[in-house]
Amino acid sequence: MKITGKPELQERLAAEYALGTLRGAARRRFERWLREDASLALAASRWQSRLAPLAEAVAPVAPPARVWRAIRDRLGASGTAKRGIWDNVAFWRALGLAASGTAGALLAATVLLAPQDPQPAPPPIVLRSPSGEIPASYLALLSDPKTQKPVLLVSAGRQSDQLWVKTLDPAIHVAGKSLELWALPKDGAPKSLGLVSAAEKAVLKLAAAADQSLAQVPALAVSLEPRGGSPTGAPTGPVLFTGPCIKYW
Amino acid sequence: MADDALKAQLTTLLAACARRDQAALARLYELSAPKLFGVALRIVRREDWAEDVLQECYLKIWNHAPEYRAGLASPMTWMTSIVRNRCLDWLRRPNFEVADVDAAVANATPSTDEGPLARLERASEAAGIADCLKGLEAKQRQAIVLAFYDGLSHSELARHLREPLGTVKTWVRRGLLKLRSCLDNSR
Repeated sequence: MKITGKPELQERLAAEYALGTLRGAARRRFERWLREDASLALAASRWQSRLAPLAEAVAPVAPPARVWRAIRDRLGASGTAKRGIWDNVAFWRALGLAASGTAGALLAATVLLAPQDPQPAPPPIVLRSPSGEIPASYLALLSDPKTQKPVLLVSAGRQSDQLWVKTLDPAIHVAGKSLELWALPKDGAPKSLGLVSAAEKAVLKLAAAADQSLAQVPALAVSLEPRGGSPTGAPTGPVLFTGPCIKYW
Repeated sequence: MADDALKAQLTTLLAACARRDQAALARLYELSAPKLFGVALRIVRREDWAEDVLQECYLKIWNHAPEYRAGLASPMTWMTSIVRNRCLDWLRRPNFEVADVDAAVANATPSTDEGPLARLERASEAAGIADCLKGLEAKQRQAIVLAFYDGLSHSELARHLREPLGTVKTWVRRGLLKLRSCLDNSR
């Protein structure tokens, strides 16, 4: 059964989905459609917003303390340790969202890794320049996800294999360790771009011109590695900084 | 805490969860878990199951916090939907059997409890829907309320209300349409 182009049926199913009377296989099927059909997703979310206030009337019941303890333990088990952020789907999805969201607005590169924060957030970082003065290039601004402070500015001319890395905050370096810069391709594993130099400005060499090596790379990241860089060719330490990589012009 | 202040606080906490701030999740849990546990308990009707649901849902909330969009739904709406969805999935488990829907519904609403509808009148965020529910025919209202709070399916509604399945489905469908037009007009 197809429901695109059938607004009344869409509405009815969205309402029954939100109410909960859509069950079993029909519910599963509806959830599949939700992922593919933005207008259906909007209808369902409107219905959830209409009906959810009913839950206000449910008498609150304090859950036993063991529930929170179990949640906390499971966070500890999956959030840190060896799995790391590279296996964290939400992390990748957040990166993807941030990267694709900004890619649309090319005149100003705004960097926001986390979803919009309703609290007075630090103002978005905006790179403004008359377009004639910046050559066609790739730009990435990496920031600390905790403080949202920008720490590295990375750029490369589209036809060039020189990757310019400017360190905005020299305090990022850790004694006895190296910071390694990674390309996070749309598909596939992170690719090393080299080590972040202790100098304020440095140039790394790309494997090919930026138009080949960065075109399919929506984001860059920096991980903390043993001195000399990752011994395995994949990130082994924590990811410290990330940021979208955008084609400018 | 006033509703608006709570909403702003929950929104801020969800944004902090998106930045992997575990302390924010702890505070979010403190503020929202009793309400969500109440919702889950009504639908799955067993404390140990409701505890499992709650635990899974807060992990979901943590994992999906980066996808929360404040413009689309309030934090409580978003979290309530996650919990209700999980509960409805739970009801499909093969070992879930409620032979006697009537008793289950009666147990979920002890006689000392004034019941959700009375409480609804006092919840400011729910004022709109409380008014609109009053405008429904009694049968429509009863069917929708039982489906929402107790997670009854169409066939369970039919059994509980002792009416043919088709009749109950029609009540639900018409009731929802009427609710929508009432809610959308009152904005």
